[in-house]
Amino acid sequence: MWKRFSVALATASIFAAGAALAQTKTVTLWHVFNLETDMIYGGIEAFNASQKEYRIEPRLVPATQIVTELIKATATGSVPDLATLDNPVVASFSGQGTLTDLTDLVAKSQVVRPDIYFQGPWASAQWKGRTFGVPRDANTLALYYNADMFRAKGLDPDKPPKTWSELRAAAEKLRDPAKNVYGFGFCAMQAEEGVFQFLPFLTQAGGSIDKLDQPEATAALEFLSAMVKDGLASKDVINQRQYEVINTFMAGNTAMALGGPWELPRMEKEAKFDWRLTLLPVKDDKKVAASALGGYVFVAPKGAKQVEGAFRFIEFMSNPKILNEGWKSGRLAPRTDVKVDNPLWPQAYGIYLEQMKSAKARGPHPQWPDISKAMQTAMQEAITNAKPAQQAMQEAARKIQPILAKTPL
Amino acid sequence: MKTLANLPAPRIAGPAQAGFLKFGVPRMRSPLLYVFLIVPVGYLIALVGFPVGYNLLMSVQEVNLGNIVTLARPFVGLDNYRAVLADPSFQKVFVNSLLFVGVNVIAQIGIGLAVALFFARGFPGAQLLRGLLLAAWMLPALVVGALWKWIFATEYGLANAALSKLGLIGAPIHWLSDPAVALTSVTIANIWFGMPFSMILIAAALMSIPKELYEAASLDGAGSFARFRYITLPGLQATLFAVACLVTIYTMRAFDLIFAMTQGGPLDASNVLPLLSYQFSFQQFKFDIGSAIGSFSFVIVFVVALIYVRTLKKEAIA
Repeated sequence: MWKRFSVALATASIFAAGAALAQTKTVTLWHVFNLETDMIYGGIEAFNASQKEYRIEPRLVPATQIVTELIKATATGSVPDLATLDNPVVASFSGQGTLTDLTDLVAKSQVVRPDIYFQGPWASAQWKGRTFGVPRDANTLALYYNADMFRAKGLDPDKPPKTWSELRAAAEKLRDPAKNVYGFGFCAMQAEEGVFQFLPFLTQAGGSIDKLDQPEATAALEFLSAMVKDGLASKDVINQRQYEVINTFMAGNTAMALGGPWELPRMEKEAKFDWRLTLLPVKDDKKVAASALGGYVFVAPKGAKQVEGAFRFIEFMSNPKILNEGWKSGRLAPRTDVKVDNPLWPQAYGIYLEQMKSAKARGPHPQWPDISKAMQTAMQEAITNAKPAQQAMQEAARKIQPILAKTPL
Repeated sequence: MKTLANLPAPRIAGPAQAGFLKFGVPRMRSPLLYVFLIVPVGYLIALVGFPVGYNLLMSVQEVNLGNIVTLARPFVGLDNYRAVLADPSFQKVFVNSLLFVGVNVIAQIGIGLAVALFFARGFPGAQLLRGLLLAAWMLPALVVGALWKWIFATEYGLANAALSKLGLIGAPIHWLSDPAVALTSVTIANIWFGMPFSMILIAAALMSIPKELYEAASLDGAGSFARFRYITLPGLQATLFAVACLVTIYTMRAFDLIFAMTQGGPLDASNVLPLLSYQFSFQQFKFDIGSAIGSFSFVIVFVVALIYVRTLKKEAIA
């Protein structure tokens, strides 16, 4: 009762303020970027100052909650005008009709031009030939390694592993049980993060998500589960989030670890050793460079009231001048025409830019969560020794194939 | 409404009843009584009845992201329940939930009783320490979960370091990454988290047992065990039962702590019903299946809540 009363009061005062400012329309934005240096903060400020027609009102929602919050908002019909979504879930929303179709706005736009975007990020926001979002940033994985440990174990830090067998050999040398040091770390947890880290291996082995029952897919999973079984990676990888894997790397408990560019700001602050980055090692007999694509997409939920204003802000944020700022917090631009001059962490920048070229989008598929879940289960089964990798993968294939038969990738 | 109004209200509103009589207001049929009843009943219908009803509705419909905004969704009868029952992860998680709740109830009451008795000895600083214990209970579950995830880390965690220093374990235990151990680990964390609450309730009940009983028993030559068995336990019986019900209800809802520690993994080894329901709803976007799982939890909690209310009534009468 009281709540409703105070809400009414607040609404009334907003109307009053609106009347005073006459034309300024509020565009609500939900985003997940909690690092103060993220480009979105400067972008919102600059956008609000640049014109009087729209005012962005941001709300920070933790990354783990934004999907839940957006679903609640959709169910109650009180959606924000703009939100940032992790790219693999965009298709779930667009494929089930819960996002505003931006195709016509994009067609008219001078800034958001599909041909300028990297294929992966752009594809992640498309569904059935229509555009439901615009990529905000992009990221992918590469291999962090501790050059000090390399030297201590007689490895050349200028020659990091380039193939799976070199990766394994290096991990064997770097491993030091007496000091609680593992050679290699990755995330295999029962969540999308685990699949994100597994997909590069799957593609490198020549496998794909629609052919998990093939020997290539089994080879990829066997490679990783053997790393755990042989003690080269901790059994805890089954339960470590990506940032926790990097925690163990920064604490000196892991000599090499998979990680994204978003780790760079804290890596610089907290890692007290000579850390470096290299491209993901490829499978010896295939030599397929591959990685998975991450990153956030701007979307306007269906029912958004200020779609025009939201799109104006998307255009503003897609300007190369703003996207240039992204690298300061470890975010790569999703477009090919952005070159960062004098980048922070130049070595890492070069590696991630190179790795981006082979970064594959997850999906897009409206049932990606189901596909991902089947993969997660297979990974957990093989790594915990509950089932052989081949059997786990075949069971995953049996779950995934009917989904893909109905709606192909 | 009728049955509520016919309750022996005077028993519940003891002191007020005297006041009513003094001013000559009829005991039972006061219009004011109805007004006072309408408020809580309306509140319950709006904030408990509606969500439960809505959940039941969703559990017999096909609900996805596309139609969650409307009420007119395809009716599928009991299909969702059939799908849930046939799902191997549900069967595993159902058993997990029963184990998790059962062990939590026994341990939280056992340890809570022991700690309450310990503090009841009244040594210097007892009150302060007891208060500090309660501080743990007031932490957000996500924080407690992160803390225990760190304690249970295989290589650098406190638990393995302490146990190996004491010479109790040879090889490190994979607390959270071994499917055979994970449920035990989250149970330990939840017992630690919930125990202070049980302890405080038991401590309060301990204080209400008249000291003279103990003095008289001592004079009669009763030892400490006999005093515990024949005075303390009977005195606490009603409280212990109520605490058991409350712990069951709270533990049935456990979500954040496990989410922070293991996300229910590995392989659902540490998953419980509310978390599974969340995963289906908000990670797989299968709101219908999530609702059906929610109904199972609801039935269990509802039965326990009924038992709890009955005990409270008995206690009030006694």
